[in-house]
Amino acid sequence: MIKVNGKDFQWEEGLTVQKMLEKKNYTFPHIVIKINGKYIPPEDYQTTIINKGDDVEAIHLITGG
Amino acid sequence: MNVEQLKAAHKLLAEYRYTPAKLDRGYANKSLYINLSENKIEEKVVTETMKEKFIGGKGFGLWYLWNAVTPETKWNDPENEIVISPGPIGGITQYPGAGKSLVVSISPTTGSVVDSNVGGYFGPLLKFSGWDALEVQGKAEKDVIIFIDGNNGLVTIEESPEEAVDSHLLGEQLTEMFADNEEDKRNISVVSAGTAAEHTLIGMLNFSFYDARRKAVRLKQAGRGGIGTVLRDKKIKAIVVKFRGVKGNLNNVADFEKVSKTGIKLHKEIYNGDDKQNKMRLRGTTFLVGIMNDYDLLPTNNFKFGSHPKGKEISAPKWVERFNYTGKSDGCWYGCTLSCCKVMCDFELKTGPYKGQKVIIDAPEYETIAGVGSNCGIFDIDYIAECNFYCDTYGIDTISFGTLTAFLMECYENGIINKEITGGLELNFGNKEAAMELLHQMSRGEGFGKIAGQGVRKCKELFIKEYGADANFLQDIAMEAKGMEYAEYLSKESLAQQGGFGLANKGPQHDEAWLIFMDMVNNQLPTFEDKAEALHYFPMFRTWFGLVGLCKLPWNDIVPEDNGLTDEPAKVPEHVQNYVDLFNGVTGKNITKEDLIAQSEGVYNFQKVFNLRMGFGTREYDKVPYRSVGPVTEEEYLSRQERYDGQLKELLGMDPEGMSTQEKMAALRKYREEQYEKLCDAVYERKGWTKNGIPKLETLKRLGMDLPEVVEVVKRYL
Amino acid sequence: MKKLDKKEELCTACHLCEQICSRTYFKEENPKKSAIRIEEQPNIKITVCSQCGECIDLCPAQAIYRDKKGVVRIRKAICAGCFACVGFCPEGAMYHQGELEEPFKCIACGICAKECPTGAIFVEGEAT
Repeated sequence: MIKVNGKDFQWEEGLTVQKMLEKKNYTFPHIVIKINGKYIPPEDYQTTIINKGDDVEAIHLITGG
Repeated sequence: MNVEQLKAAHKLLAEYRYTPAKLDRGYANKSLYINLSENKIEEKVVTETMKEKFIGGKGFGLWYLWNAVTPETKWNDPENEIVISPGPIGGITQYPGAGKSLVVSISPTTGSVVDSNVGGYFGPLLKFSGWDALEVQGKAEKDVIIFIDGNNGLVTIEESPEEAVDSHLLGEQLTEMFADNEEDKRNISVVSAGTAAEHTLIGMLNFSFYDARRKAVRLKQAGRGGIGTVLRDKKIKAIVVKFRGVKGNLNNVADFEKVSKTGIKLHKEIYNGDDKQNKMRLRGTTFLVGIMNDYDLLPTNNFKFGSHPKGKEISAPKWVERFNYTGKSDGCWYGCTLSCCKVMCDFELKTGPYKGQKVIIDAPEYETIAGVGSNCGIFDIDYIAECNFYCDTYGIDTISFGTLTAFLMECYENGIINKEITGGLELNFGNKEAAMELLHQMSRGEGFGKIAGQGVRKCKELFIKEYGADANFLQDIAMEAKGMEYAEYLSKESLAQQGGFGLANKGPQHDEAWLIFMDMVNNQLPTFEDKAEALHYFPMFRTWFGLVGLCKLPWNDIVPEDNGLTDEPAKVPEHVQNYVDLFNGVTGKNITKEDLIAQSEGVYNFQKVFNLRMGFGTREYDKVPYRSVGPVTEEEYLSRQERYDGQLKELLGMDPEGMSTQEKMAALRKYREEQYEKLCDAVYERKGWTKNGIPKLETLKRLGMDLPEVVEVVKRYL
Repeated sequence: MKKLDKKEELCTACHLCEQICSRTYFKEENPKKSAIRIEEQPNIKITVCSQCGECIDLCPAQAIYRDKKGVVRIRKAICAGCFACVGFCPEGAMYHQGELEEPFKCIACGICAKECPTGAIFVEGEAT
């Protein structure tokens, strides 16, 4: 298990930030990712591995018309 | 088009000559008052106290309207007013989104005070003509236009019997009539409604601007609250302003360099960032459709569901294929490089009085696509575009029309209304022909369209009274609060957004707060206190745009590259500072970001007290339909069973095994309704209100809003 | 198309062009009022309008146009002073300064080029 935005989320071997976003269907273009408080720039989503037990924040910046 | 002929039929009813005020630090310090019953035109002084306490825009509108009406005033009484005001920052050209006008009136659908914001050139041109606000009171005997010539200092009221009523024609006729030549057309802006605004209560106002590249009159809408209906009830065909000579510093700002630098910084940010962020310049607000569908937030079939497999068919890529990209400056005021207002050209209409004609459409916004599209179960971009065109030209609010039609469709599918009642319209979800015909009937003032045009609340009451509908069920599915139709976001899974809609002063409109991502997705508002703080800060922050004449979009539909690394990314701290700089740069004052919130708080509380004065505004008026809170029907519950069963386990500690769906729904409902009540308590507390939603005297005092007439109203409730 | 072209490798960063430009158009020696800008760090860089014309379509007032010689020019009388062109210039060669209500840019007049001691700037396409 990992936490995504404070809620439990199923972890798997080799889970990258990119894969996590896809699994969550997080398609909003402006999301800020932090793993255990550390900021991950978008260009690293493909290569950054999320480890078991990590606390991931995927902060969607507010929007709405 | 022979405008000479139209003009020859005009009869001058009143004329007023004035010396246009030179603006000083964003203000003309004068406002224009027109009474159509008496054909009276006067000017009023804008006092320092007004500027201090009400700032401008919506603040001025509320203050003038307060003084114009009594607690007994109805929307169609002559003393009701339409007040239009752009605010002190309005009309600057350097910062994107600075052309907004705020319109205030007593609403036909809510019965209380309502405000609506709109782009287009009218507000800035009005101010450059020497007026911080325009107040129109009284009723004309026959159709009139009001004309303001800001270069020559002339205001007239003219009977205008022959012009069209529908906005796409009227806007063109009047632009042609009052412009000296093609070059001059950009100096004209027309406020108008349309034929359906006359026959319904959900009429809206179009504010025009001339698109010099496409050589066409474009329309932006003040949609909410039925103010277009008020316009036509006053027998106003149009209000026209003409001002030639827009330049970079007509506001005569205190610190032009500061304003310019702040603007250029944002232009650069948009240039560098928009392609990587929301692509507003390419897609406008249509980008939200796909996102909302992905997050289960796109209202579908009268807010039953939040997504649909066909959602993709009405999402941004489909629209982008159809948009016209002549030039690169689709702003609704000079300098708006965010350019969200997209265009469809040469659109051939398939129905209605203009069938077969090729028209230009101010392309659908997110709200329109969701409202008249997915929420009605219609996933057809040609229908949505045509419906958008007709709503605009007929003067109908697309949000109200969408939510209303969706409600009627659910009633139809449940047998509450039938073909006999609808005059043959088969209002099933997805029936676009029937929906379109409903709209045309509103324009003609005929048949079921005329009945439906009274809005969701009155339809609900009628169906209960006349057709024996189950009152509880209708209460649950009628997506209105305070008499206003809901805007197009699904709030079921975000308690904070339920409050954002339910607690809004004017009715369920998302311009008060949009907290779904913060609350539901980001989980940043876990406690009631957190939610209450957000429902304090964001409504106040957003209110401020309406006080000064700015658009909300450049606040957070583009953000600095490093915004994600700031303490509070959701607030966009750098942009908050931009607004502080703009206000100070324009007015020469020295406010802080905390003062900015306090400015809004004063006006927000005033509007709350205005509601109380009109007989509304207590806690009971913050009630919301259960459809906005949770699943009303088994169909809804079962469609998201895993989610709801999980919540029963996690939040209520119940075991859904062995419970019937009805039992599960009842348990969930009890919980969710209690949560909403607790939210109200927390928000009232944070705002300095009593448990009944009344601003406490100490709150009003703290905000400098303890005016004797305000205190007098509040004391009756304490 | 007439434009001011450059050979950065020849520039010695004497800044004479900046002085001439601001003197010619603003009657003062102020590098912030020059339509050509010389940066020295990290390397010598000459910023000047390439006459690409991106700003023409962007201008909401239609105040920017290309003249017969191909030079992109601003009609000051109808410029609404929004400075969108400043923010959106791909070269960063459209400028705003202080209280000036309109932006300004290089119009390839060549006055600076005539005085340039090293030939680092010169006018191209004069004949067309």
